Amino acid sequence: MSRSLILVGLAVVGVPGVASAAEAAGGGGGWIGPFAVIAAGLGMALAAGLCGLGQGRAVASAVDAMARQPGAAARIQTAMIIGLALIESLAIYVLVVAMILLFVQPIK
Amino acid sequence: MEAIEHPPIFSLPGIPDHVTYTWLVMIVLTVVAFLASRNLALVPRGLQNFVEVVLEQFLALIDDVMGPEGRRYLPLIATLGLFILIGNLLGIVPGLAGPTTNLNTTAACALTVFISYHAIGIRKQGALTYLKHFMGPVPALAPLMIPIELISHLARPLSLSLRLFGNMTGGHILLAIIFFLMGLDGLIGWALSGSVAGALVGGLGGVIMIVFTVGFLYPLKILVSFLQAFIFVMLTMLYISGAIEEAEHHADHHEQKKTR
Repeated sequence: MSRSLILVGLAVVGVPGVASAAEAAGGGGGWIGPFAVIAAGLGMALAAGLCGLGQGRAVASAVDAMARQPGAAARIQTAMIIGLALIESLAIYVLVVAMILLFVQPIK
Repeated sequence: MEAIEHPPIFSLPGIPDHVTYTWLVMIVLTVVAFLASRNLALVPRGLQNFVEVVLEQFLALIDDVMGPEGRRYLPLIATLGLFILIGNLLGIVPGLAGPTTNLNTTAACALTVFISYHAIGIRKQGALTYLKHFMGPVPALAPLMIPIELISHLARPLSLSLRLFGNMTGGHILLAIIFFLMGLDGLIGWALSGSVAGALVGGLGGVIMIVFTVGFLYPLKILVSFLQAFIFVMLTMLYISGAIEEAEHHADHHEQKKTR
């Protein structure tokens, strides 16, 4: 099961590269561009999904704590927002890397 | 980035757009401050009342996070917060460019925070005492602690600037994708083309996407603007209070060890 998944993943990742490599052999132009697009998309998807999991855990326990102690809700909320920002910044790093890959294209 | 970025309606020749709109934010802040403090009254009315309410929110936040000794850093913190907030909100207005969507502006803000919290720490504790905190609690651990501390301190301006820049630019790219790549302009053009099918499909799709954009994306972007300004200010306060209070924390640790 997992081996076939890996094969499918390799095929999905590899085919555009192969296709554009053939194109590059014919008419010039970089072969790394399609890989950069795929890397940007895959990286952003992974980062968004895992960041969502982490933020979900943080919010879940913060809401739990707020329900137990409504008096401390304001302080818990402040701490939760700071924590969410720190978690979210990891996904933002990936977004910045994806934007660099897509728009700046340092490697051609 | 230029491929999907719309140029603003007003730009000075030879000057980058984010600098132009940074000047606009500066003019707005200066004019509001001037108008509010022109006739200072003991019982405030109008604009002075509004500005006082805003600054009292900052003061309450500072009291909450840093304690009363943080009040002397209100000018730095409130200026950064108001500048970033107005810069963020300016980016949402169609036809204007937001200064915080450019990495240079956010890096300037983050470097200001970086240099000023170190300066505050050094002035509060003296250079030697302040630098001693980089060596960790035990002198034997210093070779291990100094690189860790250096990296963690150098990562602060990086994460501050990249967080603000990434959040703002991500929102703008999302809007640009909705408008241009997902084809809102195409749908509207189809709806206006005169054919019945175009009016039905394009009109319905265009209305759905406009409702989605105005009803969901714009409130989300306004929320993100306020939240990112709040988080920038919050982290600035945490860094400054960390630079001030490090001595007491370390003293506490030592005393606990002795009593044990």
